[in-house]
Amino acid sequence: MDTTLTPSPATAPAGTRRVVLGVQEPEDMDLPTDPIPLNMGPSHPAMHGTVRMVLDVEGEKISNVDIQIGYLHRCFEKESEHATYTQIFPYTDRLNYVSPMLNNIGYAMAVETLLGITDKIPERAQYVRVIVGEMSRMTDHMTCLGAGAMELGAFTVFLYLLKAREWFYEMLEEISGARLTHSYMRIGGLSADLPEGLTTKLLDVIQRTRGVVDECGKLLNRNRIFRDRMDGIGIITKDEAIAWGVTGPVGRSTGLDYDVRKDHPYLVYDQFDFDVPVGSVGDNFDRYMCRVEEIAQSMRIIEQAIAKMPAGPVMVDDPRLRLPTKTETYNSIEAMIAHFKVIMDGIHVPPGEVYSFTEAGNGELGFYIVSDGTGRPWKCRVRPPCFANVAILPKVLPGLFIADIVPTFGMINMIGGECDR
Amino acid sequence: MSETTDGQKTTLKIMTGAPVPAPAEPLYATGAPAPVVQPGTEMVTVTIDGKAMQVPKGTNLLEACNHAGADVPFFCYHPGLSSPAVCRQCLVDVKGQPKPVPSCYTPVADKMEVTTASPRVLDIRRQMLEFTLLNHPIDCPICDKAGECTLQKQYFDWDAKYARNDGIKVHKAKHVDIGKHIVLDQERCILCTRCIRVCAEVAQQPELTMAQRGDHEVLTTAPGKRLDNPYSLNTVDVCPVGALTSKDFRFTMRAWELQATPSVCPGCATGCNVEVHTSREQIYRLVPRENPYVNQYWMCDEGRFTYKRIYDDRLGQPMSGGELVEWDRALEDAARLLRAAVDQGPGKIGVVFSAQSTNEDLYALSRLAFDSLGVTRAYVAGLDQGWSDNILVSADKNPNTAGAIAIGGGRLKSLMDLANDVKSGAISTLLVVGERGVLGDGGTSALPISKLQSLIVLGWRKGPLVNAAHVALPLADWAEIDGTFTNRQGTVQRIRAAVPPAGDALPGWEIVTLLAHRLGMPLEFGGRPSTSPPSARAVFLDAREKMAFMKNADWGRTSLPIQLRFANSRG
Repeated sequence: MDTTLTPSPATAPAGTRRVVLGVQEPEDMDLPTDPIPLNMGPSHPAMHGTVRMVLDVEGEKISNVDIQIGYLHRCFEKESEHATYTQIFPYTDRLNYVSPMLNNIGYAMAVETLLGITDKIPERAQYVRVIVGEMSRMTDHMTCLGAGAMELGAFTVFLYLLKAREWFYEMLEEISGARLTHSYMRIGGLSADLPEGLTTKLLDVIQRTRGVVDECGKLLNRNRIFRDRMDGIGIITKDEAIAWGVTGPVGRSTGLDYDVRKDHPYLVYDQFDFDVPVGSVGDNFDRYMCRVEEIAQSMRIIEQAIAKMPAGPVMVDDPRLRLPTKTETYNSIEAMIAHFKVIMDGIHVPPGEVYSFTEAGNGELGFYIVSDGTGRPWKCRVRPPCFANVAILPKVLPGLFIADIVPTFGMINMIGGECDR
Repeated sequence: MSETTDGQKTTLKIMTGAPVPAPAEPLYATGAPAPVVQPGTEMVTVTIDGKAMQVPKGTNLLEACNHAGADVPFFCYHPGLSSPAVCRQCLVDVKGQPKPVPSCYTPVADKMEVTTASPRVLDIRRQMLEFTLLNHPIDCPICDKAGECTLQKQYFDWDAKYARNDGIKVHKAKHVDIGKHIVLDQERCILCTRCIRVCAEVAQQPELTMAQRGDHEVLTTAPGKRLDNPYSLNTVDVCPVGALTSKDFRFTMRAWELQATPSVCPGCATGCNVEVHTSREQIYRLVPRENPYVNQYWMCDEGRFTYKRIYDDRLGQPMSGGELVEWDRALEDAARLLRAAVDQGPGKIGVVFSAQSTNEDLYALSRLAFDSLGVTRAYVAGLDQGWSDNILVSADKNPNTAGAIAIGGGRLKSLMDLANDVKSGAISTLLVVGERGVLGDGGTSALPISKLQSLIVLGWRKGPLVNAAHVALPLADWAEIDGTFTNRQGTVQRIRAAVPPAGDALPGWEIVTLLAHRLGMPLEFGGRPSTSPPSARAVFLDAREKMAFMKNADWGRTSLPIQLRFANSRG
């Protein structure tokens, strides 16, 4: 076989970055093969969170893909109809379980919009939401990048990034009491203020994390093995991204400049100076780079938020929403009844419907909630960003090799808990 | 109430198959019911929150407001009682009036313009709630009413402000034993006087009263009286807070753990509509369900305890020859005994119908007895007559006498005839479907069982008759089955299964169908022969086609029990 440094016409369209390695395969060198079906998953190390791919392969080349999701279906939407609005928070933790805070925020904001109290959320609560949300975005991206790199052989990067991720999980545990399933938000604010001295520790962790991310960049960005499997693989064009509803880092890697935080600012995101990284090719490497850069931007946002964060309450002061303190509850009948009603009946949300969306780790996370005026949602539908991102895979994967599924699926970053709900 | 009292006169209607009103669907009254418009009533125009509407002259303004879609709260008003206007929650602004008026006490006048939620009204409502809560004990965690409490609901809906006062509350008596079934907590009482009016207006025995003044005012029994009238537990239902609690239900189950299944009381021929409150397949209480045609909002104390018989020494497994056996063996034995009797001639078989059974059980049995076996000697059994009043309680203590008589179609004879026929040896084999009341007070002496060649009993409870039976088959009781009862007015009312049957018990219609199949005479319901009919509904639909008195009856919708947790408040 003859190896050259010119782009391979077979795998990479003109204008792509794939210049490193191409294999010239004249037609007559192809071995005659029959297409065979091949199951990948549902239990497979590269099938994050259990998904099944039924491939038609001709030799090593994929000719057709049938992606079967649903293995982590937990009836989130139906269960929500039987839980009070507050009881749904623990369920949202389990949507995208590597960034639960972002799900918490998205859900809380949807209900708050329906209640019409979005502008009454105390400013400090909004700043804290931004801080913990960006921390969660970083843990999300670090998980994706670390796992993606590991699957291509870079185990060191995985360990480095998960070490940094663990620093944030420890912070989040200090804030919420739980490493992963935080349930930190409440309708109308937060369950508690940040612990004392946390911001100082957080700034220190950010400094250390910058070092880790830089170090990983040095290990990967010019790494031949890594680049060979990332560059020009799994290309999504901007038009395709729009047509398929692909959002988040995957969408931005195609050049689609859409970030809910910039385009439809919520909380106090309009107060911060940050950039939205956008790719040009839409391949795996662009998706990787977008995430690396977003980690850096998240750290910028956190630093600004800590500097600007005002003092004050973190929960709206409305007995219909706030759970009274134990002292209040045991010493006045008013607080006792309020406590009882908020727990037993739930927060009463006026009848109506809302679609509220935020920028989660994987893209636009939307909650469509219909209220009938009771303490439970009549309908609670989620638009999981993963769902659209995975839906485009049958378009992307055919023509690639089996081995290309690993980095491509890794950089799409499907989270089963979110996609399957 | 007058239309429900004349048992004799309305019983005649059953036989002619007169149209009967469909049973009322379960309904949680969130406010006042819609005003009933009689033809020829003078109508007036009233504007409520900018919405003009026509209502009959003299309509209660509160009812008109809530019918118009406004949400006017109340404690002391009750649709079945008079209005004293003491709670001040239902105040509304009426144009031209200097002060807000209590809407429950105000008849609608022509061209009235009403605002139900003006800032002034909302403020007064909130202040009244704050005032009511001032001395209210912090009892929710130990209060039986918590979870279905109207005070909790009104506070959350209309006040929702934290306490401004942390002074010492006025203390009153916490547990006053005021009657056979009821305990009073005077601290929790918000002095709405609903219970006083229930005693005076429904039970017609004024036993309760208010004493003292100001924040020392208490509810108490009148001097020398106890709250012992036969309708006393209705005071617990109407109590908006946990001041009056039922000794039977007290501290047994939290309200929000309960599921409500609509049904009908089996205690007498009145057929009061009830809700069966269950939790984890256990019945905890019966409460009345509104039905303007039958019981309005009330039921008697005796009826509330009918659920206890579900747990009273039940026959849970088939018996044959005095031994517990499987269904298969028991049915085979029963069929063998009946076949032997058929061989002697059908005239030798006697069948006892029960006025305690549902129409479906009776209908399936009549098909087997009259159509398949050609039985000529059939009898009707039931509990003996008891006390009655002209309020709700009927002397006939059977829930389905009207249905049994109509389905029997004149072929049913009395228990005295049964005793005579057994004595004379006219019948050698007796099939009893529903043992309750067959022996009466006299025990086995009333019926010479030893004269019988074979005795097959489908029974709810163990007892002398079941013990003497050659084959005894366990019947599922009233709260365990779907079916219909026909009350003394001829109204066919639906009962629903609230708990699973005791042991291996089966509904009567199902046992009869299985038995018929064993006899080689399968019963068809709706044209489908089957070893076991698909459902009680299929039997009902078949019966409705054949039975004139059921012509207008309706099976109703299939519905899940209502979780009281989300029903907001009761009382």
